[in-house]
Amino acid sequence: MTSNVLVPVKILEGGGVSPGLMTLLGTVDVTVLGYHELPEQTPPDQARSQYEEQAVSALEDLEQEFRSAGGEADHRLVFTHDSRQTIERVADDVDARAYAISGVTGDVDSLLVALSGDVAVDRVVGFVKEVVGDRSIAVTLFVAGEDAEAAERKLEWAEEKLEGSGVDVDTRFSVSGSPFQALVDAVKGHDAVVVGEKAPSLKELVFGDEAEKLAEASVGPVLVVRYDEYLDG
Amino acid sequence: MSEEPLEPTGTNVEGEAPDAEPTVETEEATVTDDSELERTLGLAGGLAIGIGTMIGAGIFVFPGLAGAEVGTAATASFAVGGVIALLVALPTSELATAMPKSGGGYYFISRGLGTLAGTVVGLCLWIGLVFATAFYLVGLGFYALDAFAEVGISIGGSPGLLVSALAVVFGVGFTVLNVTGTENAAKLQNAIVALLLSMLVAVLAFGLLDSLGFVDAGTPAEEATDVWSAVPILSVAALVFTSYLGFAQVATVAGEMKNPGKNLPLAMIGSVVIVTVLYVLTIFVATSVFDKDSLADAGETAMVEIGRELLGVPGALVIIVGGLLATMSSANASILSTSRAIYGVSKDALLPKWAARINLRYGTPHVALAMAGGPVVVLAATRQVQLLAEVASFLHLVMYGLICVALIAIRRDEPEWYDPEFRVPGGDVIPAVGAFASFGLIAFMDPLSIAVGAVLIAVTAGWYFYYAGDVNLKGAL
Repeated sequence: MTSNVLVPVKILEGGGVSPGLMTLLGTVDVTVLGYHELPEQTPPDQARSQYEEQAVSALEDLEQEFRSAGGEADHRLVFTHDSRQTIERVADDVDARAYAISGVTGDVDSLLVALSGDVAVDRVVGFVKEVVGDRSIAVTLFVAGEDAEAAERKLEWAEEKLEGSGVDVDTRFSVSGSPFQALVDAVKGHDAVVVGEKAPSLKELVFGDEAEKLAEASVGPVLVVRYDEYLDG
Repeated sequence: MSEEPLEPTGTNVEGEAPDAEPTVETEEATVTDDSELERTLGLAGGLAIGIGTMIGAGIFVFPGLAGAEVGTAATASFAVGGVIALLVALPTSELATAMPKSGGGYYFISRGLGTLAGTVVGLCLWIGLVFATAFYLVGLGFYALDAFAEVGISIGGSPGLLVSALAVVFGVGFTVLNVTGTENAAKLQNAIVALLLSMLVAVLAFGLLDSLGFVDAGTPAEEATDVWSAVPILSVAALVFTSYLGFAQVATVAGEMKNPGKNLPLAMIGSVVIVTVLYVLTIFVATSVFDKDSLADAGETAMVEIGRELLGVPGALVIIVGGLLATMSSANASILSTSRAIYGVSKDALLPKWAARINLRYGTPHVALAMAGGPVVVLAATRQVQLLAEVASFLHLVMYGLICVALIAIRRDEPEWYDPEFRVPGGDVIPAVGAFASFGLIAFMDPLSIAVGAVLIAVTAGWYFYYAGDVNLKGAL
């Protein structure tokens, strides 16, 4: 079965999806989640009656573009006071394997895959394999913040899995400094990033979603392979 | 009744039809044909709306006025108010879990009793909230005046005028803030409510120990006698009932509440129970510390004098800060609810559709907010605490009574779609008593308040016949 990727878009605030990301996701199915976040003074229903038509037509266009890029596509439209909650709910609802934070990019020729920390390496690698397919996209596997031996072991394992399916793989790791900064530095020279979602931790609640910060720092699109309570927990 | 929910039919004078989108309600969202509306409010958010709206001007302004009338018997007045609120909160909860949509009381009545009752209640809810907000703002003005006095800024000439001016400035301020503010204020509101509750509980705990003789803060012994007889107690209850307006506001955000079947009844009933206990204790302490006559002298800000009597200057300051926060949170929450109320009727074509338009720049319903804030400011300038409070209570009590009647009516002939997760136990007894008590309390109000309320009802009924006589909402989901 083809995996589903959720692409949240701020549909009424000029949110779009870069052509590079559309092409990159051509090998998987996509659910475009158009959402509009409202201040608490405004009942979501009130916004719906005013903006629904406009939002639906924009979403249908996006859906069509994703289809012509290759995979199946559909859309959801949500009016909400809390976009994070909405993205989580719809991702669960459509059983999304990953979600995409749309950044600016042209054609994606190189992909940085971060495997640092406590992420489900096999799920991330499996997803990368599916996305890359038989296209010539260069993949760099990256680990930071772990000791050299553990990092090498992890990278070797992942590299083997990917090379077996004919993907062009390179590996890289960093043992010093802040893992997040190392990742941001490593992104340079790549068109998009794949990271694994970590189990919600206290640190994340305090400092906000790392993936979002990464998207801000790296400009390009970020694909977040979702944490799965049942499979990973 | 039909098996399927009916569609609303007919158009208003301008040819606008009710906006009726078939929906499916889940615990997490409302799903329409093309979109979903996320439910984002939890139980804590619901309780904060209920408690935050209720604990406001009422408890900080009324102890002086109520205690001046009947002394310690005012505890009974507040208890009566709480019981009536509870009698209404139960039926409202049942209806809200059956129809978890924004609009609250208006929605249930228009669907249960038809468009005429719906129009009257919908418009009276708007006007009632306007009166209530004006009352909160006047309370805020009095507390701000005391705050100035406490920090040593003396007000020469006419303090009354200054109260009006402060009320107007804050009224305009809150309206502008609601139109332009896109920051999420819900968390702030929750924090304010939590802070308020702890301040009140601290002062109360000390006051209770003092009243019961465990500690002695040197409060003077009472001299004037309390008035323990039914009519004065009930007429004070009618006055102070404004302190309980707010639990039904939880129903106006029913469409935004997560797991509404469980959270709506808990938030509504819970907030009524919590504030009733708090009010009764507060009044008990207040009327134990001061007798009738001294309360009458202290007037609107008698609570400040009580804080001072119990804990000295720090006590007075705590109460002033509490009073400012409480009146602000009530006023702000009410302006928000007012705009929700206007949206509810405008969606059903009982008011022009433009009243519910959303501003492109801020994403806020600026027309509805202006229709809330505009009249509020005018009324607040009058400074008529008692009239404002009673008219607000009158209009809300009419709605509360009709909610109970609507529940009985819907149960008589239960439509197929009627499937509330929460059912009021005991058959029709509670809604019947609730309706009787709500309408009955009106009789104990000041004649002027009753007259103003009656005129407003006549005007809104007239509006129905002129504007929306052809719209049919009964039984339409």
